[in-house]
Amino acid sequence: MSVSEDVARRAPARRTATHDLTRTSGIGLGVTMIWFSLLVLVPLAAVVATAAAGGLGGFWSAISNEQTAAAIKLTVLSAFAVTVVNIVVGTTISWVLVRDGFPGKKLLELVIDIPFALPTIVAGLVLVSLYGNDSPLGLHVANTEYSVFLAFLFVTLPFVVRTVQPVLEQLDPEIEEAAASLGASRLTTFRRVVLPALVPAIAAGAALSFARAVGEYGSLVLLSGNLPFRSEVTSVRILAAIENDNRSSAAAIATLLLLISLAVIVLLDVVQRRVARRG
Amino acid sequence: MSIDVTGISKRYGDFVALEDINLTLPTGQLTALLGPSGGGKTTLLRIIAGLETPDSGSVVIEGTDATRLPVQKRNVGFVFQHYAAFKHMSVARNVAFGLEIRKTPRADIKRRVDELLALVHLSQFADRLPAQLSGGQRQRMALARALAVQPTVLLLDEPFGALDAKVRKELRDWLRRLHDEMHVTTVFVTHDQEEALEVSDEIVVVNDGRVEQVGSPDQLYDAPASDFVMRFLGDVTTLGGHAIRPHDIDVQVTPQVAGAAEGTVARVLRVGFEVRLTVHTLDGEEVLVQLTRTHARSLRLEEGATVWLSPAEGATVMPRAAALSGSS
Repeated sequence: MSVSEDVARRAPARRTATHDLTRTSGIGLGVTMIWFSLLVLVPLAAVVATAAAGGLGGFWSAISNEQTAAAIKLTVLSAFAVTVVNIVVGTTISWVLVRDGFPGKKLLELVIDIPFALPTIVAGLVLVSLYGNDSPLGLHVANTEYSVFLAFLFVTLPFVVRTVQPVLEQLDPEIEEAAASLGASRLTTFRRVVLPALVPAIAAGAALSFARAVGEYGSLVLLSGNLPFRSEVTSVRILAAIENDNRSSAAAIATLLLLISLAVIVLLDVVQRRVARRG
Repeated sequence: MSIDVTGISKRYGDFVALEDINLTLPTGQLTALLGPSGGGKTTLLRIIAGLETPDSGSVVIEGTDATRLPVQKRNVGFVFQHYAAFKHMSVARNVAFGLEIRKTPRADIKRRVDELLALVHLSQFADRLPAQLSGGQRQRMALARALAVQPTVLLLDEPFGALDAKVRKELRDWLRRLHDEMHVTTVFVTHDQEEALEVSDEIVVVNDGRVEQVGSPDQLYDAPASDFVMRFLGDVTTLGGHAIRPHDIDVQVTPQVAGAAEGTVARVLRVGFEVRLTVHTLDGEEVLVQLTRTHARSLRLEEGATVWLSPAEGATVMPRAAALSGSS
């Protein structure tokens, strides 16, 4: 409350343009950048360069190929739908795991990670045996567009749950009690006090699950049957292009996926910032 | 008109948090619930607020039976030890929260928030986030937020417990002044007897799930109903088998009062304006005595001196069994 304290609080920790790295943090930054470049930036740049080699015309003809366009549409729409479902269901599951006590909770905690830990082709086998043509449940989604949605749903289940759970655990229950004592109903409390605190975590989980879905391959190839214009996804199209020795076309599709994922991650970040601020 | 607590009991499994509590807290007063941690005082406060449900008994607030009312409907202001600030909202939005819930017109909200922020001296911080405030400022924000809805009762749970000693004292004085201006019925929980003695009109000593004593600070200090209350409110020593406060003992260097206990000064400890003596009496008691620096000087007290001790006039003396072990 003193004047000096106020001044200290007001003055932002402003960094000058020159660096102020110590020796160790300099080495750390160097390692980070080399690692990041070798593993991420250089390969990505190579893909973009290959796609660009064919010129804008080549890029356009690769992605506007009817079969490819259908695959892209199916992939992106399914990934969107799955992300929306995960936002709702994932948040609910993490709520149940954190706030409720019930027998078998520990077991459920463990089971949640299975879709993530399972090799994707094993996940594919599991899905085929459950929902394939010999489905013991009588559900036949094999070779339909829903198979893609189902496979995405399976492999992306843990993402929102696992990002939201720790944040929810840290959330002070007194904050909800304070809102209640001020007259807020449980719904209002959730909407205005709890949700803004969770939104960054939900957005992070949603971005992860969208990105994972867009690139998914192993878990769906068996169930979807890869039927052109029906259940064929983009990753399968990329593989087909490479098998036909059409690398520039594969790179063009890959670049488009990259751009879509980037756009979604940026969009989620913008939404998250707005919601978190609004309260 | 008041808060009437009748026959309240609460258990958590085998643990009895509160047992048959009956209490009337008069309107407009500042009451302290004082007691050691785990004694049940916070549970009692939370039951009055509606944040906890009693196993039996009733709570009547200003003539309305609130026992079955949810916290949202009780119109109480609650202040938590760790502020419970809405972290993503500015200070002004925090204070406005309860008014927005009540669909108060925008202009009224703004006026009321401005008034309250001025009251708690936070006007210039209106647009800050709680994380940018100090602990004391955050707690004043929490208080403004609770007062915004014009509560029938203001309840504070160890409101200064997380603050350092200096800020604590400042806020304590400030709460008292605020209460004198607003006259809202206020109940606060504390385990700090000095805080309770200094701030409140009335103190309820709660221990082991029961009410030990209710009274004004002076009544409690001068006429404690039990050993526990006497010991909880201040230092206690033993003289002639009676419990007595160390500053209530007269020291003489010659025998003047009949029945005074003779002893030897074993230790002299000087703390600021105060001198603490440890005296070993001929009866084998170890008696603690507190006197002022000037008084001790005039008596020329030093280690090894022979003194006669007797209860001062008007001293609080409580006969007690030899059970006073470990008192110091």
